[in-house]
Amino acid sequence: MELKTVELTKQYGKKKAVYHMSVTLNAGVYGLLGANGAGKTTLMRLLCALQRPTEGRILLDGKNIEKLGEGYRNLLGYLPQGFGYYPDFRAIDFLRYIAALKGLEGKAGERRAWELLEEVGLSCEARHRIKTFSGGMKQRLGIAQAMLNDPRILILDEPTTGLDPKERVRFRNLISAFSKGRIVILSTHIVSDVEFIAERILVMKSGQIVHYGRPGEITSEIQGQVWECVVPAGHADRYVAELNVSNLRNERDGRTVLRVIAGERPMGNARLVDPNLEDLYLYYFREQPAGGRRARGWGLSEDASGAEECGRDFGSDVESQCEGGDER
Amino acid sequence: MRKLIGYELRKLLGKRLTQMAFLAVLLLSALFSISTYQNKYASYGGIQASGGEAVALDKEIAARYAGILTDEKVQQMLADLAPKSGPQGLNAIYLYQNAMQSAVSARFSDMYGNWNGLRVADVFGEEEIRIGYVDGWICASRDMQKGFLFLSFVILIMLAPVYSGEYGGVDSLILASRYGRTKCAGAKALAGILAALLATAAMVACNMGAAFLLYGSEGLDCSILFARLILTEGYIPYNLTCGALLGYQILLSFAGAVGTAAVALVLSAACRNPMITIVASAAVHIVPALLPVPESSPLFRLLALLPVYQMQFESLMSLGQLRGGLPYAVWALPVSAGLLAVGYGASRRIFASHEVS
Repeated sequence: MELKTVELTKQYGKKKAVYHMSVTLNAGVYGLLGANGAGKTTLMRLLCALQRPTEGRILLDGKNIEKLGEGYRNLLGYLPQGFGYYPDFRAIDFLRYIAALKGLEGKAGERRAWELLEEVGLSCEARHRIKTFSGGMKQRLGIAQAMLNDPRILILDEPTTGLDPKERVRFRNLISAFSKGRIVILSTHIVSDVEFIAERILVMKSGQIVHYGRPGEITSEIQGQVWECVVPAGHADRYVAELNVSNLRNERDGRTVLRVIAGERPMGNARLVDPNLEDLYLYYFREQPAGGRRARGWGLSEDASGAEECGRDFGSDVESQCEGGDER
Repeated sequence: MRKLIGYELRKLLGKRLTQMAFLAVLLLSALFSISTYQNKYASYGGIQASGGEAVALDKEIAARYAGILTDEKVQQMLADLAPKSGPQGLNAIYLYQNAMQSAVSARFSDMYGNWNGLRVADVFGEEEIRIGYVDGWICASRDMQKGFLFLSFVILIMLAPVYSGEYGGVDSLILASRYGRTKCAGAKALAGILAALLATAAMVACNMGAAFLLYGSEGLDCSILFARLILTEGYIPYNLTCGALLGYQILLSFAGAVGTAAVALVLSAACRNPMITIVASAAVHIVPALLPVPESSPLFRLLALLPVYQMQFESLMSLGQLRGGLPYAVWALPVSAGLLAVGYGASRRIFASHEVS
């Protein structure tokens, strides 16, 4: 099975949410990473035929999905971001309704609904009204409805939103077990979810795929640019404001360990570490500091003790890194 | 498909707003019936009665003259019922004592209560007029008409969320599913129409039940033309039995409900939220009745075929008869059928081609 987008573009007025995207997806789990507004949801809606492309096509095994119509939707499972539901429906009735929409008749649909409720840990709440559910329970119900028809293509938009860590682990296992021989696309802001289960990562920015690869390969892009450095705890906030810090850990001895993404050694005591997906995410989607000049102004010129301790005044580095970031 | 229709019906009928609105219209209808019943008044032979007693007295008087209206019966009624004590300046035609007296005085009496010289044939032509107790049925019909007008708004409220209610988020799930753009879109429209018909049937059942309970079953074969003056002035001008009157009214109310449902469905598919749908469909529904078009205008004959007039019934039925004796109002049936076909097709298509945003 091959799902392919060819020069796919979706435009809202002048804004291009997805822009000339060509990508081929085969069986496997794909993690879609991108900041808000990157075009992930639009891409997913296009793949679900919920929106028509402004330009380009989506092909399933060489056939345009618009022409496949019902045949394509029969292969599809979709969990939208913040999915809608009927508050007065009981969980099992909601799944029965979706099963009817998906053409699952009689006992097969009923059995599958109960199976999935069991799998997402909602079997005890099956006869409770959805309006009484917590956010996480609703999300699990959403996951169950997406998988009802045993879809060959499963598209999940922010599936782990609202799930607690235990539920997220359960979800990841569920998807891993389910994904054999299917195309599973999931988008999330929680990078670790993707890191654990996605076989391939698609990094999306401004409506385009800017990076594509296996989790191990994809992070090699920033090999040599992730640093760990130790600073006094009292100065950590300044460094966070000035540098692209992906993690911060306070040590007992009053020092703070910063994980910094920078093209050059950010300070004297910095040591190179292996990059992970979160670093990659921040590398692509870092925010520009409130104002390079201002940040530099209060940087260390007034009190350079922290930097001196690290053996380097990094004010100019911050600015150059921001500029570099913009270029990318 | 049947399963989907069932779910859609459940969604529609399970809404609190729909239930409250329907309950309110039933209560209102009951109030109309009870109020009309309690305001009944009749006097005869020194007896003055109101409410149920007045109905019983009117029935008793009507039973004495029941049958085909003849000149002899007219004379007899005038002799028995016309005011004898002198109307003291009041016009006997407008003097009300009981239903039968008012009916005969209005047509065959002068202002002093004496015979005005007109024969049955002069007033009704060659029509055979069967008389009896018709007061209850005509009142029930008028009350029902008021109720149906409110019902049409309940239908608009009920059907507003059929499609537009899904645009709040569930549309993604529905339209990405196998039957979302095909069977489901159709099931929604069918469920909407079915819900409108069910609501109308319930309303008809309640009103007819109340009418039988309050007025009994007498008079269904009697003419609406021989009723008390206030009920016949500006009323349907041709001969119909009460049974036929109610039959047409029920038929037109179902047709009106279907036409109203069609309008609501199209706007529900086109509007993004149920409240906007309610406002838009109420406006579209009521506008024909607010246009300053006189009833004598040929344009009115077209406007009167729209659902709001079907529900109002009296204006439409007053537009005369076709050559075969059928009321002109029967033209409303193909109009409703057309609206239904357009509403079903258009709403389905709009929803099926909806892009989630």
